[in-house]
Amino acid sequence: MKHLPLMLTLGLAITLQASAFANPLRPDKQDKIAVEVVKAVTEIMTPDNMKSTGTQTITTSSGRKRTFEFDSYSGNKGERTLTRYTKPAAIRGQAFLTLNNADDIWTYFPRTKRVRKLASHAKKQKVQGSDFTYEDMGGGDVFMTKFTPKYLGDQEKNGELCWTIELIGIEAEDPPYPKIVMWARKSDYAPVHVDYYDENNFNTKSLSLTDIQNIEGIPTAMKMEMVDHQERSRTIMETLDVTYEWEPPDNFFSERSLKK
Amino acid sequence: MKSINRLCEDPSPTLRINSGRSISRRSCDPGGTIIASAKRGRAFQAREDNLVNYVSRVSVLILFLLPLLIFAQPQFFGYFESEASTMALGSETYTYGFNKLRLDVEARPNDHVLIGANVNFEKYWGKTTWNVYDFIPGYQDLGAVMNIALNDTILLDNMYMRLRFPFADLTVGRQQLSPGVGYAWNPTDIFNTKSLMDPSYEQTGVPAIRVEVPMVGRFSIDAVVDPVEDWDKSTKQVWFKGGVKHFDFALTRAEYTWYQIPLATGTYNFGTKVERMLMGGSIVGELLGFGVWAEYGYNDLDLSIYGSCPTCTDYLLPLLTTPFEEWVLGLDRTFDNSLYVLAEYFHNGYGIARKEALSLSDYVYAFEGVTHSLMQDYTFVYIMHPTFDYVSLSAIAFANLNDNSGVISPMLEWNAFQNTNMSVQGSLAWGEADTEFGLQDWGLILNVTSNF
Repeated sequence: MKHLPLMLTLGLAITLQASAFANPLRPDKQDKIAVEVVKAVTEIMTPDNMKSTGTQTITTSSGRKRTFEFDSYSGNKGERTLTRYTKPAAIRGQAFLTLNNADDIWTYFPRTKRVRKLASHAKKQKVQGSDFTYEDMGGGDVFMTKFTPKYLGDQEKNGELCWTIELIGIEAEDPPYPKIVMWARKSDYAPVHVDYYDENNFNTKSLSLTDIQNIEGIPTAMKMEMVDHQERSRTIMETLDVTYEWEPPDNFFSERSLKK
Repeated sequence: MKSINRLCEDPSPTLRINSGRSISRRSCDPGGTIIASAKRGRAFQAREDNLVNYVSRVSVLILFLLPLLIFAQPQFFGYFESEASTMALGSETYTYGFNKLRLDVEARPNDHVLIGANVNFEKYWGKTTWNVYDFIPGYQDLGAVMNIALNDTILLDNMYMRLRFPFADLTVGRQQLSPGVGYAWNPTDIFNTKSLMDPSYEQTGVPAIRVEVPMVGRFSIDAVVDPVEDWDKSTKQVWFKGGVKHFDFALTRAEYTWYQIPLATGTYNFGTKVERMLMGGSIVGELLGFGVWAEYGYNDLDLSIYGSCPTCTDYLLPLLTTPFEEWVLGLDRTFDNSLYVLAEYFHNGYGIARKEALSLSDYVYAFEGVTHSLMQDYTFVYIMHPTFDYVSLSAIAFANLNDNSGVISPMLEWNAFQNTNMSVQGSLAWGEADTEFGLQDWGLILNVTSNF
């Protein structure tokens, strides 16, 4: 009997630990929460329009760094994006346009003044050697359309109490990843961390979203860090300036703007 | 041989080839098929129909655009490129290279106006005089001379002003034009010929007026004119572009003056003017997970607007006016391990099908960029893998399927610093000695390019 308190304590600890993920809600209630959270996160991550400038710093596994600067535009709730690099000199003017949530991608090379349409396999290519793919940067509402969400419970992440949502890819929709686990703040649904998994359920990449500021009513992560666990590289994207009140001119997301 | 010598050493006003391009030292650069001279896109000299015309046009551009450039807070950028090459040809080994400074300047007085220009400074070293006959099977040992001299140059390559209106973009001046979807060949490109060793190298500017009119969605009209005194003889090309689902397409029509040189007449320097009318199109999209593209051009030839051909015999006349087709098919894919593979097949109906039927003029056509290829059927393969941090390994292979010759060229590229790339490119040719590529042995190119 002298071990009873210890067993009770252990049992309580295990129960509490488990409850952090396995929540007591009924499955239909869990699904409802998951859908609501994903919808709210998508709303935050895909504002109607956005115009920003930022930097992208890539650190390779050997510790070498490269920093790029870019102007970025998105419209129609992230369904269309245009990104143009302004620095360094070697890639100045290079730009890419994504339409239909990155199902269609065009790149522009200023040296040859040529626009090239990329096939969909290019969606999974790294943008300028970074740890972000074209699909990561132009995904739009893919969380809602290409995944089935599941609420895993509440958990503290990056010092914030978060909804924890698992997203399982719908195979017929050609999801960018087979599985994603996402943490979104309970206070305002702002995502703070995302883990990406491969077919073997291996956590290949992790995205941390920090320095979240309220910009024109929208919680905005001013710093995003993507870590590639396989290649041991990381890419930090920092937003220097952003506005959601920008209205794209007619036909802005077109080949014409790529070549500007 | 005097007239032939003159062809490549003097951009004579009477010697004009292909879509408003003069025969120049640049276009005599045998880089199109000569493996160790990689950068065919280098501009050695302006492609105007004569020097007077060139000087007058450039002067107008400078007088008009330079003040705007200066007073509109210009931005300066560009790159420095240094290249050293060695190649084995027959029993000889040659070493040569160049240093190039490209200085770009751009100014945007307001959101609707862009003024751009670039000047290329090029200095050559090592072997700078080449005998074209050394690259033509059957002519190497005859003692004949058709020299190309690569002289140091300063070239105003591009100088243009782009005006952006709500309904259209208008670009006036010398500008780079790169139509078509093919990587190594572009049947619908009447302005450029690419080097198979580096198809993505920049092209020389073309004097033109260009209007791009966006329409609904992904549809647009794009028109280019390089006007001369007679509208019928001006270079004109128009594209109707569009996109449906995951496919982009373009339809094009072009009319321009083309030049053929009936060598068989023995009067080499009397180029015959022909009106070339191109109808074609391209499509690019995706099929079975591969990026796919196709580009097609049907070319009709007409002598009528230039009157009769005094040097043409009954035998030659049909040769000069027979329509021909060119087309290219390509595909590419990036695999999950980041390996990128691209392949193209090119057919040129104007090319020669059998090596026994090749004449000197066919080689000159190909060297000059008059034709997109010497013979009819070619393949091109490019493989690239980003193997290490900022180091990629790649290889190009291209083959002439008609004479069974080709070149394989492995390359290591290192992004040594943020703005500096270094590369080592080797090349090894195969085929018999009387074939397009087989008469060349091997080559090695070291290149450093630093952007600023």
